[in-house]
Amino acid sequence: MTSDRRRAGLLVAPAVLFLAGFFLGPLLLGVGVSLGHGPGGTPGFGQYTRLLGDSYYWEVARNTLGLAAAVTALTLAIGYPYALILTRAGGVAKTLLLLLVVAPLMVNVVVRTFGWMVVFGRAGLLNALLRGLGLPELDILNSWTAIAIALAHVLLPFMVLSIAATLEGLDPALGEAAATLGADPWRQFRHVLLPLSLHGAITGCLLVFALCMGSFVTPLVMGNNRTMVLAVLVYQQLTVTSDWAFAATLGLVLLALVLAVFWLQARLARRLAA
Amino acid sequence: MNSGWSRGYVVLAGTFILAPLLVVVAVAFTSASFVSFPPPGWSLRWLAKVLADPAFMRPLGNSLVLAALAASGAALLAVPAALALARGGFRGAAEIESFLLSPLSLPALILSLSLLFFLARIGLGGQPIGLWIGHVVVTIPYMLRTVLATYRGVDRSAEEAAMTLGATPLRVFLHVTLPMIRPGILAGGLFAFLVSFDEVAIALLLSTMRTATLPVAILNHIAHNYDPAVAAISLINIALVTVAMLALEFGFGLDRLMLSRGRK
Repeated sequence: MTSDRRRAGLLVAPAVLFLAGFFLGPLLLGVGVSLGHGPGGTPGFGQYTRLLGDSYYWEVARNTLGLAAAVTALTLAIGYPYALILTRAGGVAKTLLLLLVVAPLMVNVVVRTFGWMVVFGRAGLLNALLRGLGLPELDILNSWTAIAIALAHVLLPFMVLSIAATLEGLDPALGEAAATLGADPWRQFRHVLLPLSLHGAITGCLLVFALCMGSFVTPLVMGNNRTMVLAVLVYQQLTVTSDWAFAATLGLVLLALVLAVFWLQARLARRLAA
Repeated sequence: MNSGWSRGYVVLAGTFILAPLLVVVAVAFTSASFVSFPPPGWSLRWLAKVLADPAFMRPLGNSLVLAALAASGAALLAVPAALALARGGFRGAAEIESFLLSPLSLPALILSLSLLFFLARIGLGGQPIGLWIGHVVVTIPYMLRTVLATYRGVDRSAEEAAMTLGATPLRVFLHVTLPMIRPGILAGGLFAFLVSFDEVAIALLLSTMRTATLPVAILNHIAHNYDPAVAAISLINIALVTVAMLALEFGFGLDRLMLSRGRK
């Protein structure tokens, strides 16, 4: 028994040590840097008071949360019906629907963002359609709307897969039982499917919200200074201003917000379960 | 829900999903010297241009090499761990499993920023190995999850039989365990390869001019010039990934891999 345990330890050790050194270690160092323990820093909470005292950063934080909420709502609205249709399909149709939704997942986010630039650009698809319909052209490439749509596209697969994974696990006999007992399709959905799939929807929302808060490629490429979010600000502090201590502080605030969302969602899930 | 409605819905959702990808494919074949949709005419000039342009081809090579090395590193670290975790029976196994999967739930930008500080501190700032380290960290969870699922799903009594018959642990691993988990290792490896090939945040902060990966090169190109070359290189990127995806689907069954995400 002891030798078994020792062997298990030896098998697990390389991966654990690697992540302790190159994942946990750097994160702790990041906390240290934000507290001024970096090159040229003065130890203390200086970076945090600088951040909290400036209304600009509060506005950026509000924008970040607002964008994530909008993108989550969009992906839920598009993704829930899709997941429902996906799980009810069979055979080839199911494989095709699954391929359709995961294919973009494998197209790089930079490429997908570029695709939306071609859609929303001045000489793009949207304006070609509007011209064809005799409507005035739009210039929305650098707007919150365009960024939210592009991000919803990037994150949709996560929502669909989360909901579909829950729906797949449900026994189809549940719906049939409800039907046998005289429930019409709407009541079957409202009283059987919806409550049971809520868990998947919550997981999907949580995942999309968190991923959206950390996304920076799409808002970086499509946005400008009027559409600033925390992740882009972190990137700018690193590359443009080279202010590592402040970048670390902003990054940790972003992380704290993501963790707060996880915590809220966990509480919500517990209450729903009760 | 009746099937007419769902068919209409799938067409709409499909348009939303495919539109930004199809416009990229169309613009890759434009004859114009600027990005416009629909293209005024067709040509292969932009594809020919990027295929001959080291500013794109070198990052493409970098990406392929990095993805292969990251997937190998993740396999070497995660496969043994997956075996021990699936066998279980030791204290803290569940906690260790959560810890090894935790890089998944951290925003990549935060990890990237922390690694940037850390690598600079230990004297590896701007080194190619730093990029590899970052990509191994983010690919370990994919490798671990796939191999765990495979190993938990197989009948392990053959291992016990081999051991009872006096085979050494190494022989049991090579002749019994490895053949059983090979599909998991291959699928996890391909998954890890794709994750690394696709990764932007870490590559952007930890790569240099010389080690820039393909997504970084495309991002930098978009930042400075908005021309059809981006569409052409994107098309090449899409083609490569499509081949890998088809290999995953026909080799292992995509729905099994994707839909097992939510379950354990």
